[in-house]
Amino acid sequence: MSGERAIETKEREGLRRRPKARRSPEAATAWGFVLPLVVAELAFVAAPLALGAWYSLFRVDYFELTEFRGLGNYWTVLTSTMVQQSLVATLLFSAFSLLFTVSLGMALALRLEADTRTNTWMRAIVLVPYVISMLVGSLLLRWIYSRDAGLSGMLLGPFGLADFSLLADPATAMAALVSNAVWRDSAFAMIVLLAGLKAIPGQLYAAARVDGAGPWMRFTRITLPLLRVPILIAVVRLLIHFVNVLTFALVLTGGGPNNATQTTGLAMYRLGFVDFRIGEANALALLVFVFNLLLIGANLALFRRGRSLSP
Amino acid sequence: MTQPDPGPLPRPAAAPPAHRTRSWRRRRAGRRLGGLAADLLIAAVALGPILWGFSTSLKPASEILAYPPELVPSRPTLEHYALLFTTGIHRFVLNSAVVSVVAVLLSLGIGSLAAYALARLRFRGKTALLFGIVALMSIPLPSVLVPTFTLLTSVGLADSLTGLALLYTAYQLPIVVWLLYGYFGSLPIELEQAARIDGCSRIETLRKVVLPLSGPGLVAAGLFVLTFAWNDFVVAVVMVSSESVKTLPVAIYGYLGFYGRDWGPLTASAMLSILPVIAVFLLFQRYFLSGMTGGSIKG
Repeated sequence: MSGERAIETKEREGLRRRPKARRSPEAATAWGFVLPLVVAELAFVAAPLALGAWYSLFRVDYFELTEFRGLGNYWTVLTSTMVQQSLVATLLFSAFSLLFTVSLGMALALRLEADTRTNTWMRAIVLVPYVISMLVGSLLLRWIYSRDAGLSGMLLGPFGLADFSLLADPATAMAALVSNAVWRDSAFAMIVLLAGLKAIPGQLYAAARVDGAGPWMRFTRITLPLLRVPILIAVVRLLIHFVNVLTFALVLTGGGPNNATQTTGLAMYRLGFVDFRIGEANALALLVFVFNLLLIGANLALFRRGRSLSP
Repeated sequence: MTQPDPGPLPRPAAAPPAHRTRSWRRRRAGRRLGGLAADLLIAAVALGPILWGFSTSLKPASEILAYPPELVPSRPTLEHYALLFTTGIHRFVLNSAVVSVVAVLLSLGIGSLAAYALARLRFRGKTALLFGIVALMSIPLPSVLVPTFTLLTSVGLADSLTGLALLYTAYQLPIVVWLLYGYFGSLPIELEQAARIDGCSRIETLRKVVLPLSGPGLVAAGLFVLTFAWNDFVVAVVMVSSESVKTLPVAIYGYLGFYGRDWGPLTASAMLSILPVIAVFLLFQRYFLSGMTGGSIKG
């Protein structure tokens, strides 16, 4: 790597003497190589957002722009009870999911850190819910939580709640939704934190041990401070995921009961693809996207601290 | 780390055998038992829902709703799987497979070109491009579905396998480029310089020298796209409505409405979707891990 650097610097010095070389054939080749990538991202990520922004200013009747509404759609969306309720649901869901996912991910990372045979297998097992389709994961949990399966009846029976349906009560439905997130995404937190743990030099722990620090002291004084960036990376990336996720609520609870688990992602989906209010749906999508930009910005800042951009 | 590495600390001499008293052994056995119990609990929580679904998919319809439930089916049957195939689930499996393979090929092709330029060529705007790629990696898909559906409908690409494959390619390109960029950058540059001196153009160098050396990188990136496209539900459920274009996850979601409380076919279709993924994951585990942190941490 250092050899490569040396060559690059030499070439760069050469370039400085010949200012015309900026439009070198190499740069032309390079842009030719990255062009398909840039076109794909412009066409399928940037263009939709631009078109969505345009549509959000109109009343749209099944993809026909009928009447210019200015920011009217935004006002309608922000003042609608459905959206306001969904924001509360999203906040509750994200906060609890984040808390449990990161804590459990940390516990798993600490427990499975050593590279023993058992731990390698355990890591793979914990990752299975993460690698399978989200749809199937939520479907399987829905079957477990449903009264028909008889499992919840067996567990709750001794408490006199044999007929209680977990997904029909607002509080337990929200808990079920959070459990879906924790079941699937703790593995992600674990992987990020494991990578961080691997980077902590073992001598630090050995030295602390010699100085008489117990396990709790070593965790709070060495592990936690040195894991700050990985923890923040896990938090930000999980938050982006939780704030936007649609599948959990759509498949597990369907947003019910009484819209108690209808997150903003689901509200947007219903507005667009069930009610076909495309103008308002685009307005809500863009509002959420602006919020996401803040999180993405935080993610980028952390990325620069986590590692440099060079390979 | 700037301070010099003092090397491994001298380990304390092994405890003399006198310390291995009976109580020491008992405590060690207790710890091992506790560890085993914790591992079993973790595995049960992680795999429980999947195993329970598998068990349900093998039960005859009459026993699925039996109370108390049987954990292991006493009279296993494949009737639900047979029902799925007689009603044509293989078409949806085929659609999913086609879309996934096309997305893998497209994203590896476009991605390796871009990654090579980023890793080896000098041009203005490279840093901006790299930051753009990292930013794109973290865009949450559900938030762009409505605008994307709006666009695809207006250009006639919605409800087609082509549109779906193109979307998957665009969504997975950032991570593919990122993984390959890291991989290409780690190859020895001397081989490429030799190829250049022998008169290879940049594209020939990429095709004849870099790509043949990049098997593991290409496998890691390809597997990432493959599982994403195979698993995707949110993009497909929004873009696709015709029976002939449905992918497996969209079909499974349809079954949820169609079969309602009939969990036999539902869990059977769920198993068909996840078994290939679990198999691929267990075979190629280490490749998955390199992509999951998205290169955000040097591991």
